[in-house]
Amino acid sequence: MTKIKTTLFNVILFILAIITVIPFVWMLISSFAPNSEIVKIGGSFWPGQFTLNNYVNIQENFNFMRMFANSLFIAVTTTVIIIYTSALIGFVFAKFKFKGNNLLFSIVLSTMMIPWAVTIIPKYEMMMDFGWLNTYTSLIVPSMISAFGIFMFRQSISQISDEMLEAARVDGASDWFIFHKIILPMSRNTISSLAIFQFLWSWEDFLWPYLMINDQSKQLLPVGLRLFNGQYGTDYGGLFAATSISIIPVIIIYLIFQKQFIAGIQSGTGK
Amino acid sequence: MIASIQNKFKNFLSLKNVAIAFLVIYFAIFMVYPISKAFIGSFYDWNPLIDQFNFVGLNNFKEVIGDGLFWNSIKNTLLFTSFSVSFRLVIGLGLAMLLHSKLAKYKSFFNGMFYMPTITPLVAVSFVWMWMFNPQFGLINNIFHLDINWLNDPKYALPAITIMTIWKDFGYATVIFLAGLMGLPKDVYEAADVDGASGFKKFTNITLPLLKPTTIFILITSLISYLQAYVQILIMTEGGPGTSTYVISYLIFDEAFVKYNFGTASAMSMILFVIIAILTAIMFKVTEERKITP
Repeated sequence: MTKIKTTLFNVILFILAIITVIPFVWMLISSFAPNSEIVKIGGSFWPGQFTLNNYVNIQENFNFMRMFANSLFIAVTTTVIIIYTSALIGFVFAKFKFKGNNLLFSIVLSTMMIPWAVTIIPKYEMMMDFGWLNTYTSLIVPSMISAFGIFMFRQSISQISDEMLEAARVDGASDWFIFHKIILPMSRNTISSLAIFQFLWSWEDFLWPYLMINDQSKQLLPVGLRLFNGQYGTDYGGLFAATSISIIPVIIIYLIFQKQFIAGIQSGTGK
Repeated sequence: MIASIQNKFKNFLSLKNVAIAFLVIYFAIFMVYPISKAFIGSFYDWNPLIDQFNFVGLNNFKEVIGDGLFWNSIKNTLLFTSFSVSFRLVIGLGLAMLLHSKLAKYKSFFNGMFYMPTITPLVAVSFVWMWMFNPQFGLINNIFHLDINWLNDPKYALPAITIMTIWKDFGYATVIFLAGLMGLPKDVYEAADVDGASGFKKFTNITLPLLKPTTIFILITSLISYLQAYVQILIMTEGGPGTSTYVISYLIFDEAFVKYNFGTASAMSMILFVIIAILTAIMFKVTEERKITP
């Protein structure tokens, strides 16, 4: 009886999971189909013939992999920087007593409420004045700190015992040493979940690169997808192929960090 | 002497000082300055392309409040936000309960499947759903045997975008609820089992109250992000058909970076900020006041 119940339960879960991923499956299958098959009215889920042309074409006509590499570079760089600064600042908020600690932390938290629309116009003008338009400096420097990241690290680092840090201090370890050798290694779960969140946010960011970067060869992938759609609006196969490729890196990041992901969220948001 | 100077220097470069200095300077440049500038700019006729920055008092605000499109966008934003937030919470919690159940096998496989839309770039997802909703060969009409021109019909365009957003985002709520469920104390449930409490009783009397912090976290972060959603609109409908899918952040984008009316756009962004602040405060208040008696 329990066996039947378990099987039934998991079959239902499986059906729900299939419903969830069906758009991806459809996209992936169609990315190997010629356009004539994709737009066939009343066509079936499974195309009549398969081809690799869509993938070849997006590279030849659009230099798609260049944008892919650009995006990868920016997303990895900003994610690494943000993880480091968030851990550092989160550590200070969690373990150091100083005047204004709570006030400063509340200010940091409250910036999460500020809409992007408020700051983006002056930031755009600022980048113009700095002469950073069309450079990657404009994509990296303004996104080196994340209030969300600081919040997660403060929550998780405050659960590390003070005695251990005190013992290290007595042994003559500097705060920097403690941070690099104790705090960071112990924050593996938080690092994992922030890596997943932050990589996705950088990878999918549309508006900022759209405003900053003019050269198509420097452009990032989300903007590239839209440009492609504008230039080759009817090339559905190409778009399916480009979109399929754009999903891959985030899935890889997820698979790498997945194990610690939920535990990281637990220590970062629970209390 | 030298040692004491060295010490002072070391102290000056201590982790605490470096971190706080970095944070404060960074926030001054990339937060405080832009916010102040946007606030001031909302009282100016501001166009960076022709170097225009003239004081106009409250004109921008008057213009915005007198604009029918602005109110239409507010209405759309609130509709979109309330549906997206509620479905995200309900589906997220429901699936998290299923995944947390003892009966569920292959948990990390299912986790990954349900999380997949969430880890997919929004621009990509928006394109996928443009094809899903395509009236000629889209999957939605094919499967349900419908004949709806989803994204080109003013009646269906906003619901279509909302459906897509819910699908994209429920996974976020699922993992956070799941993390919350896994952190709940087991002994409370064991005690309830001893008392012979039903599953439903345990859900309403133990699980829900204990998940309150998690629920508030998801509620507030969702509210803030949906009130400023625009990417899916920009990709899928550009506010159309007509003005049926204009939301406030898309309107600001349009005003600022298509028409270059920075002053008007800043005034709108200030209003959006006030709306977000008020709604967040209300959420905190409501969730705090509802006393929970187990």
